[in-house]
Amino acid sequence: MEPNLNLDRRSFLLSASGGLAAVAILPELGFATPAPRLADPIGVGVIGVGRHGRALLDELQKIESFKVAAVCDTEPARLSGGQRRAAGAEGFATHQEMLDKAKGVQAVVIATPTHLHKEIALDCLSAGKHVFCEAPLAATVEDCKAIAAAAAKASTIFQPGLYARSNPVYKLARTFFKSDSVLELIAMRAQDYKKQSWRFPSSDPARDNAANWRLDPAVSIGLAGELGTHQFDVFQYYTGRYAKGVRGDGSIRLHNDGRTIADTIHCDFHYADGVMLSYSASICNSYEGRYEVFHGSNAAIKLAWSHGWMFKEADSPTQGWEVYANRQQFHNDEGITLIADATKLASQGKLKEGIGLPFTPAYYALVDFAGSIADKKPPACSAAEGARASIIGILADQAVVGRKEIDITEDALKI
Amino acid sequence: MDAMRTRFELLLPGEDSPRLRAAGEAALGEIVSCESRLSLFRPGSLVSRINDTAYKAAVLLDGDTFELLHICREVWAQSGGAFDITIGPLMRAWGFRSTPADPVAAGSCEWGFQHIELDERNYSVRFLKPGLSIDLGGVGKGHALDLAAAELRAAGVSRAFLHAGTSSVLAIGDGSGSEDWRIAVSPDPSSPVVKLRDFALGVSAQRGRGIDDCGVHRGHILDPRTGRPAPGIETAAVVAPSAALADAWSTAVLVCAACPARDDLTGIIDRGKTASPRWVVHGPHADRVTTRAGSAALRS
Repeated sequence: MEPNLNLDRRSFLLSASGGLAAVAILPELGFATPAPRLADPIGVGVIGVGRHGRALLDELQKIESFKVAAVCDTEPARLSGGQRRAAGAEGFATHQEMLDKAKGVQAVVIATPTHLHKEIALDCLSAGKHVFCEAPLAATVEDCKAIAAAAAKASTIFQPGLYARSNPVYKLARTFFKSDSVLELIAMRAQDYKKQSWRFPSSDPARDNAANWRLDPAVSIGLAGELGTHQFDVFQYYTGRYAKGVRGDGSIRLHNDGRTIADTIHCDFHYADGVMLSYSASICNSYEGRYEVFHGSNAAIKLAWSHGWMFKEADSPTQGWEVYANRQQFHNDEGITLIADATKLASQGKLKEGIGLPFTPAYYALVDFAGSIADKKPPACSAAEGARASIIGILADQAVVGRKEIDITEDALKI
Repeated sequence: MDAMRTRFELLLPGEDSPRLRAAGEAALGEIVSCESRLSLFRPGSLVSRINDTAYKAAVLLDGDTFELLHICREVWAQSGGAFDITIGPLMRAWGFRSTPADPVAAGSCEWGFQHIELDERNYSVRFLKPGLSIDLGGVGKGHALDLAAAELRAAGVSRAFLHAGTSSVLAIGDGSGSEDWRIAVSPDPSSPVVKLRDFALGVSAQRGRGIDDCGVHRGHILDPRTGRPAPGIETAAVVAPSAALADAWSTAVLVCAACPARDDLTGIIDRGKTASPRWVVHGPHADRVTTRAGSAALRS
């Protein structure tokens, strides 16, 4: 057989790199769980169909294991918008009405404001529904623990919406982290920067406060709670450890519109062995967006939701596969792209198109939820882990609001 | 904001800056969400799923996307096939979708909206033939503007101007000093100016990207009736109640070189520098199309 002379050197290297990386690092692992094939799809009700709830509706409709049977929202305009996104779904004004009357709802997705999660989650679990609850799970430590306790007693699946646990890029990168690729953990760093007002419009002034619960100090857990929880969980997921304390600070740098919730924050977490996690978040600037970094003595791993890279130190041993791996330049540093399903992508010539997840992280989390229900297996993230991640976020917010240091005690995290 | 490979801009005049900013962010969020459903280039998008699976089984749609496909079918039927979203394989064969041009392959492409079934009862779409694919590039930006405008209206915004890459335009309420928003159809000094208020404008032009068709340079808009680049006019514009409708019809008008025969649409055609009159305007809003100087001499 004649060799394919059309295959240029770069394509060859890309193909080879994908193959080698896959063989060396990803033996038989499948990082993207396929959606279960079911004779009858799981009827799901989505509670809260604001902007995020509607995004989840879009993802649910890509998954054949689910059929959106009902949507629920207390605001009529949002409810009607939700029903447009899920044609054929019944609409309800309250979750209780949905639980009482909706036909064929076996599972629920809770995407309401954080401080409303507890009552809804407990009612849904009591009604025998499988529950996917967005993270943070709640706005108080007590509510987080109450949800985890109810989930522990329930015979149905409860999955917190901590997407990193299902994200194929994060699952793949974790195998590198757990190997000798990083070696001694030196420090950790993360940020979430996105310029936005965090205000939500409402045509009805009477609903303005309810729509802008994130800016209400009585119920909001700020940037550290709402954004940070998801990222703090990445560090817990990778290291299996929780910080011993957090020092926080924050201020209003841009949005001087009468709010009191800080629009820019910084937190420093310290761990028992002296490792530090530095975290900052802002809604005043978008530079570099959102990412998490693990600095190790052999390499650093950077994760940015749909993408992941490894930055090797010059004195770290060569493992073989990385010689031909796909690389990306970041100013003075060269990152080795961490690619799930590299062999398949290389064979399809898709490595040239840029490496990223084909679906959103929410999609993979919901696929995992369907798999847990179908196979009666533990969820990608337990209720206890979800509660602890949320508690860390709540305590970090308290540190920011009080501009002080707070201990993260074993009692606080005891579920 | 950049989305759908173009730039979207919103202008929201008013005093209550925090409220307007929040409304604008919600509108931009709708555009991002729309792109994630309609993108041809994202493997996880709704359109990708339709193209991958709609021949094997009907694909359930959300209400907005179903309504968009309904509009596309209506314009396809009323324009005699001059606008057709099923020309995806043709667009690829002619090299307009990040693929090398292979006009010979165009001869074996399958297309035609008659091979698409929209199920009104189940809100689903199904391909009746293998090898079909849809490409909403000619109507997606207008649809995104319609969704963004709905979000703005729901937030109580009564005056706004939205555009996508200047070719899709939508006006809510009036512009400055209670006057209509005035939009020139093309950069040419002779271009008509459209006065918009609660209406949309779609502009299609053969400017920009093009291809060599048997030694003749052609624009990037294909005539679905022949499967070849549309040989017709340079620029066509349509004033319509929605931006999706304006986008779809402006493509059809450019391909047909004839204004639409509908009592809710106004067509504007550039017949070229040497023609007299150069600009032809026809439709119920012809009196809202003027010269830059403000005269209404363009009515046909």
